[in-house]
Amino acid sequence: MKSMTLSLTINGALRHCEVASSTVLADVLRDTFGLQGCKVACDQGVCGACTVLVDGEPVAACATFAFVVDGRSIMTVEGLAQNGVLHAVQTSFLENSAFQCGFCTSGMILSIVALLRAHPEPDEETIRDWLGGNVCRCTGYGPIVEAVRRVIPAHALEHA
Amino acid sequence: MHGVQETSRNDELPTEGNAKVTGAAVYTWDTALPRMLHGKLLRSPLPHARIRSIDTTEALAILGVVCIVTGDDVAPLAEQFYGVGLRDQPVIALDRVRFVGDPVAAIVAVDEATAFRAAQAIKVDYEPLPPLMTVEDALADDAPALFDGPTPGIPIPVGKGWSSVADPVRNVLCEYNFGYGDATAILDASDQVFTDTFAVTRINHFHLEPHVNIAHWNDGRLEMWSCNQDPFVIRGDIARIFGLPLHRVRIHTPLVGGGFGGKSYCKMEPLVALMARKAGAPVRLALSMDESILTLVKHPGRLTLTTGVDREGRLTARRADIVLDGGAYSDASALVAVKTGFRVGGGYHWQAIASRARIVRTTTVPSGSFRGFGGTQASFASERQIDLIARRLGEDPLTFRMRNLLDVDQPFAPNERGMDSDLSAGLQDVAERIGYSSKRQQGRGIGFAVGLKDAGGTGNHAQALVRVTQDGEVMVSAAVVDVGQGAASALCRIATDVLGLPLANATYAPIDTDHSPPDNGTHVSCGTLVTGRAIEQAAAEVRKQIETFAAERLDCDVSEIVLEGWTVRRGNVVHPLTPMVRKYYGGIGWEFIGRGAFKEPYDPDTPMGARNISWMPCWSVAEVSVDDETGRVTLHRLIVSADPGRALSREACHGQIEGAAMQALGQAMFEELRYRGAEPENATPLTYRVPKVRDLPAHFESVVAEHGMGFGPGGVKGIGEAGMLGIAAAIANAIQDATGASLTTMPFTPEKVLDALDQLRHVGDVPVVERS
Ligand code: FES
Ligand code: FES
Repeated sequence: MKSMTLSLTINGALRHCEVASSTVLADVLRDTFGLQGCKVACDQGVCGACTVLVDGEPVAACATFAFVVDGRSIMTVEGLAQNGVLHAVQTSFLENSAFQCGFCTSGMILSIVALLRAHPEPDEETIRDWLGGNVCRCTGYGPIVEAVRRVIPAHALEHA
Repeated sequence: MHGVQETSRNDELPTEGNAKVTGAAVYTWDTALPRMLHGKLLRSPLPHARIRSIDTTEALAILGVVCIVTGDDVAPLAEQFYGVGLRDQPVIALDRVRFVGDPVAAIVAVDEATAFRAAQAIKVDYEPLPPLMTVEDALADDAPALFDGPTPGIPIPVGKGWSSVADPVRNVLCEYNFGYGDATAILDASDQVFTDTFAVTRINHFHLEPHVNIAHWNDGRLEMWSCNQDPFVIRGDIARIFGLPLHRVRIHTPLVGGGFGGKSYCKMEPLVALMARKAGAPVRLALSMDESILTLVKHPGRLTLTTGVDREGRLTARRADIVLDGGAYSDASALVAVKTGFRVGGGYHWQAIASRARIVRTTTVPSGSFRGFGGTQASFASERQIDLIARRLGEDPLTFRMRNLLDVDQPFAPNERGMDSDLSAGLQDVAERIGYSSKRQQGRGIGFAVGLKDAGGTGNHAQALVRVTQDGEVMVSAAVVDVGQGAASALCRIATDVLGLPLANATYAPIDTDHSPPDNGTHVSCGTLVTGRAIEQAAAEVRKQIETFAAERLDCDVSEIVLEGWTVRRGNVVHPLTPMVRKYYGGIGWEFIGRGAFKEPYDPDTPMGARNISWMPCWSVAEVSVDDETGRVTLHRLIVSADPGRALSREACHGQIEGAAMQALGQAMFEELRYRGAEPENATPLTYRVPKVRDLPAHFESVVAEHGMGFGPGGVKGIGEAGMLGIAAAIANAIQDATGASLTTMPFTPEKVLDALDQLRHVGDVPVVERS
């Protein structure tokens, strides 16, 4: 299989890696860079657990070939906290018990970060639209929606 | 919208949540060992066939393939089968496959892609046998037997009032009969008797972390990392299958990415151990979600209830005939049958009960435990029928329930523990919350259900260790697996409450069967109840050690010592403990270690063989409207209430109730693993529909109703399964309230609703009750 060298900006740092043409982004993040916060559940692009941000847009890392994102900027859940201070969405998740097993949490948080960038004060419909691709089997979603509502909009924009 | 008021999470361990929101939390999925190889399974494409031969020559020739495990490797093991009580599931198919997805060969290779390619290169020669896709197929006179000999193992032992038998007739795994009183005579003497049949469907757990195991043999000792709810059960099963002493098997259980029963009891673990032994290297087998869906489901089934009522509108007796589809292998079917049969009376007073529960074997995915162990099946049938009966009698379903519910302390069955929740008060509360007595909005219907199950298990036991350092840090060791229910925080909280130390001082030790004190698994919402008691005792013992130590150092009587935070007070003088311990034990310091244990004693006079530890009610009320042209049901409001006795964390309780309720809502409205002929029709994450955020009802409220009567520390009891119990019945009851249409089969899809509406037009069976 042909391999190729990619340059990616991951959580703000320029990184290089060699991948096969068939390698998906989730494997690069998890196996090459040890960013295991990117969880793979369905591996078919339908559950949202592996969501990461590519140039700020939510993307299913399990269903995205790594070469496609060459030269682009990738944000994983590990990149959200700055200098040990949690991102407002992370804090809101903690304060609203918006997770149980936590397997959907990274993807959910990144989808919400993207949502709040696009809509700093989303209404109910917008929240439901944006989170429609993220499955959580544990919480029943109520606390997640609540966590979105309670993020202070100004904070959500910081380092998103 | 959502019932949680609190904003602070200071009742949680600080470390636990942080890891989950920062991506630092480590699950079995994330675990890797040096030199680790990877596995893939070849699964049967046929529902039922004899394996004539398996040719692995070509597959083994692929570069990077290390070995292939088949039934031939299983034959020499000390035992070949696993299952709960009744053991019929082979480690891997021996000479026959019994469902589409039955593992036939396990390939070990340098990476998953190679193992996957090798799987395609294996040639299996099958002799197809007739599939038995339904209970009717399996019970037909000309149906072939799915198993040749009697089922190994024993049916679950039960107590007074039960009879149990394995393999009563062909393709029936087991049959349980339970009862008290003379149901026949009482039904004969009843004023009115009603018989109704209800059907429940097959759903999958759909935990986001699929089943994953890593096995590694070293010097005849097996070490495994397993995302399982029962590390000590797995240890026991593996030791039995491999003929090893227990201490030759060591199981680690990191965080589990969702279980709901899908990761209870033995699954792939013995196979992965066998793969690693044959490969001579560590092996990881991670199932895909498609494969996880084909690993375990919740029992579909049919429940026929015959219920009598006297002239005063009091329930008299109930007869139940329960037929559950167990799928291809036993798994926990025997337990589920027992529990369904036991619970089918619900939270009402009866003079007599006679229930029969059977597990029928079919060539479908094995059925097993799913959040509530038959409780949802029983509650759906029972609470639907109670509503149907009330409406037939022209009675208000709420009033009818209130008249018949068990009182506080009244036993559920003879010799059982009394009711430790106020069932009527709980129901009244949700009725008030939905405004039942106010005028109904046009076209809306309201339906109730009182789900009930026993909780805490039968004769369950747990041990625990609590260790306290010279600096007052607390390490709690137990085997309750954190599957997201917040067990670590709850258990640490019990210990720190006894010690009077802040929760922030506590750590929940990672689970490792070499070090963790044993229990019988993370089930039946028993963590806070059973293990909680063991921890309470261990913490009390540590506290005594600390006080005794201080009394010796201060040369006084222990009764003069008061532990206050990490200091001791004697009279008016406060002494910090850290320097006191250091001074006596020197540089490295010391740990105070307390042990605790709990076991609910066996009692053959009780129905379950030991008194049930607590009762778990779920009061639900739903408000719906129905589009009679399309059959579409809109769920406007759903209120779900459960009683944790005393809440250790109200947030965690809300979370448990809502999460379970949403799963129940999925099953009620649309979720179902279907077969089309012999083929699973939607066994992929793309086609299997689970609730998404859009499915949240416009108003969804969870209520933590602390009735304060629990048996656990400070009155706590389990709550994890409660929210699952009443929802489907409440929704169907609401549909009937709104339209008169009676739904008795889940899920309540538009087609079924239209059918029910049609029937109504033709038969006009059940009158809609008018209320003033
Ligand atoms: S794991 Fe990528 S979408 Fe499910
Ligand atoms: S927290 Fe478990 S899947 Fe969302």
